[in-house]
Amino acid sequence: MSVAVHENTVPSKGLKGGSLGLIAVIVIGVASTAPGYSLAASIGLVTGEANTKAPFIMLFAFVPMACIAASFYYLNKADPDCGTNFTWGVRAFGPKAGWIAGWGCIVADLVIMPNLAGVSGQYLILLFDEKSADNIYLTTFIGILFIIAMTWICWKGIELSARSQVLLLGTELVVLAVFAVVAIGKSLGNGTTRVVDGTTYHSIKPSLSWMSPSGLSTNAITAGLVVAVFIYWGWDTCVSVNEEAKDSSKTPGRAAVLSTLVLLAIYLIVSYGAVSLLGPQFVTDNSDDAMYALGKIALPTIMVKLLVIAVLTSAAASCQTTILPATRTMLSMGSHGAAPAKLAQIDPKRLTPDYSSWLFGGISIAWYLVLVTVSHNTSTDAYSASIAAVGMAIAVYYGLSGVSCILYFRRWIFKSLKNFVLIGFLPGFGGVVLIYVFCKTVWDARNGDYGYGTLFGVGTVLLIGTLLLVLGIPLMLWASKKYPTFFSYSVDPPDLAKDPDSDDTLAAPLGTYRKKGRV
Amino acid sequence: MAAELIVGIGGDGSGTAAALTAARIASLMNAKVVLVFGYDPTSIGPRGGSLEEEILAVGQRAVETVRAELAAAFPGVEIESEFVKDHAVEALMRVAADRHAEVIAVGHGGGGPLRGALLGSTTYELVHRATLPVLVVPDA
Repeated sequence: MSVAVHENTVPSKGLKGGSLGLIAVIVIGVASTAPGYSLAASIGLVTGEANTKAPFIMLFAFVPMACIAASFYYLNKADPDCGTNFTWGVRAFGPKAGWIAGWGCIVADLVIMPNLAGVSGQYLILLFDEKSADNIYLTTFIGILFIIAMTWICWKGIELSARSQVLLLGTELVVLAVFAVVAIGKSLGNGTTRVVDGTTYHSIKPSLSWMSPSGLSTNAITAGLVVAVFIYWGWDTCVSVNEEAKDSSKTPGRAAVLSTLVLLAIYLIVSYGAVSLLGPQFVTDNSDDAMYALGKIALPTIMVKLLVIAVLTSAAASCQTTILPATRTMLSMGSHGAAPAKLAQIDPKRLTPDYSSWLFGGISIAWYLVLVTVSHNTSTDAYSASIAAVGMAIAVYYGLSGVSCILYFRRWIFKSLKNFVLIGFLPGFGGVVLIYVFCKTVWDARNGDYGYGTLFGVGTVLLIGTLLLVLGIPLMLWASKKYPTFFSYSVDPPDLAKDPDSDDTLAAPLGTYRKKGRV
Repeated sequence: MAAELIVGIGGDGSGTAAALTAARIASLMNAKVVLVFGYDPTSIGPRGGSLEEEILAVGQRAVETVRAELAAAFPGVEIESEFVKDHAVEALMRVAADRHAEVIAVGHGGGGPLRGALLGSTTYELVHRATLPVLVVPDA
């Protein structure tokens, strides 16, 4: 009798035929970034902060996120665990900081869920009956159903075939591009004027200066950035897919570059179109459903419906960057003995983490209801605040992975210029920018005039953005009492970090290195 | 070289009936049974690690149970097992090709063709793609 465990170098991911084609790789990268939903959720807020300079913020936010992707790429070589920031944090900083990094990742995913549910609920209703979209009970009800449906999809392990993804994403991109072109077209010549609720809006001519930061205050740039980092969240999947298909051909490298260009181009032209169509004030005033409000003015009814469908499918696709990473991090923490083992429980039929999935779905619904209640009964806008709050959480945990990369690979940084740039400079720069954005936001958001309202005398963004993060500290201390073995792990000795460019890059299993004098 | 019969085993023990049928045939023709567990942990990027370990543990438990059952019912039949990190259908077809197997035996949970086409079913996909005989045995 014998037992063999095979490794397949190019996992098929259900993409029939084995290797990932150029189009498929581009699609996976762009789809996990969910451009339609990202724009719907953030364009109003970014314009609110940066006015006509929204295109600049949309482009600029890419810089730190791309820098951090370099650290994801290299840390993934040392430890491709599904716990990502959690396991990397343990290796670079030790178990306590690693635990908090894992918590930060789960919190970021949790914070965005109400917005995802809210936008989906609202856009689904807009598809059928515009008047009911303000009915808070209906949107909340549909939002909850949406969370349940997405959790079910993740638990079931359903993945769309590459062809369906190409079709869905293709529709999304075409509709967004048509919107942008029509909107820019309408702003040229004599422009367009509309009176909405007694306010007159007039279109403004697009200008190249919208792509430059001149005239923007540092405050406005950071406030815009903390919202805009959200639109590139998930882009790092491009880098992962890239790695996965590296042996098949030169396809992946080209695909990563192409999908980035596609994404940047779509964000750029759509933000140009949005701002120019009726001026930035219109976008800001309609930030709750900006893409719909803009689409209605620029496009014929049938195209508006398509735009709404594009936002909806994109929101559904973004569960790839929310529920999946959260449950995988929970599983990793349970599996490595840093949290209850139940979190690592696998559904035997579907081979997905079932306990983590439903726990996360349940907590998301509870958190969604809290935010709906708060938004409904106070002057604060907890929905929109959650976008800025998720930006804070992303900034802190992406920032930490940049620092982790430098710490972990410190032995290799100065071995070559390439190493210095990719392992040292880029992760360091991205990390510093994001951690600065986080700290600045904490400082600026401490009082009410940051926008989004206040709760208990504190800015809502600050409260949502840090409350859950800070809650992680007592939880971590509790876990350190309950799981002493995990908390006896020490950082990986830097001398033993392997050359990331060699054939053998994998680090020793987590827990190989322990603190002296403890078991 | 003895003839080989491939059997797909699911983490929930689906395919047990197929394994028993295969073992019965194997005992009659002096063949070998190969239990295959295919799994694909990489639904988002190549990250597996602990996820992969947990899934593999589930698979090993399921395969061990089936193996014990076969050993009790058909003590003379040689049984091997393979754990392949790939989409289940790809895993079965590749193992079958590598081993020049006679047949692939799989279970059937009773889902209809629409369900199989929309939600994915290893058996449904396998019977349409396999280049060798497929034996479908309803799960008990």
